[in-house]
Amino acid sequence: MVPLHFSHFQSLLLFALIISLAFGTLGRRKPIERVKYAAWSFAMFVLVGIALGWLMYPFSK
Amino acid sequence: MFEENTGSPAAGAGSEQRRERSASTAESGAGTSGVQSNEAVAREPENHGGEVPSAARAVAVALAGWLLPGLGHALLKMWGRALAIFLTVGFLVYLGAGMRGNVFEPGGEDAFARLGYMADAGTGAFYFVARAMEVSGSDVSHAVGDYGTRFLATAGVLNLLAALHAYEAARGRKA
Repeated sequence: MVPLHFSHFQSLLLFALIISLAFGTLGRRKPIERVKYAAWSFAMFVLVGIALGWLMYPFSK
Repeated sequence: MFEENTGSPAAGAGSEQRRERSASTAESGAGTSGVQSNEAVAREPENHGGEVPSAARAVAVALAGWLLPGLGHALLKMWGRALAIFLTVGFLVYLGAGMRGNVFEPGGEDAFARLGYMADAGTGAFYFVARAMEVSGSDVSHAVGDYGTRFLATAGVLNLLAALHAYEAARGRKA
């Protein structure tokens, strides 16, 4: 198969999107609750990922 | 993450019947004490749609869910969740293998390799799909390959969690 190429941030977004959708679908029953939970999970994945990236930045040098 | 299971056929019919029963008991038992009527409801055996949940059946459902992602929920007629699990795990495996993530093999040299294999094996049949897709082997010298390894591990852990949820649902518990 053709190898897939993504940047760090693209990979983070893709991961957050898939897992958030799965969490929303599996963890809640009402559609509006699913959307809210998926959006919340997605935002947390991305924000915490970026925050951890900045926290580790000093150690990258 | 799986916080409710009112869609389960095992739990749904039984809980509706119990609700109806407790309502009728409360209406007819105006002269009796409320404590007695509640105890009577609590003592009655649960009727899960005429089907008694057994541990063996629940284990079989969980094993089916592990072997083929979503099959456990499909056996319980929870079609939406079955499809969601199948697509999520399948997509994660496809991306992980496409990003040339590391598909761990059994008999790893260190604890990380063994843990990685356990996580990858959690995808069930999709583990062999990932192995077949990675014809040129893994490449974790780049960040994308490392992400691929995480995608594959996440797919496995998510499927194990889904299999556990299917087990709980098959036992008629709120999962």
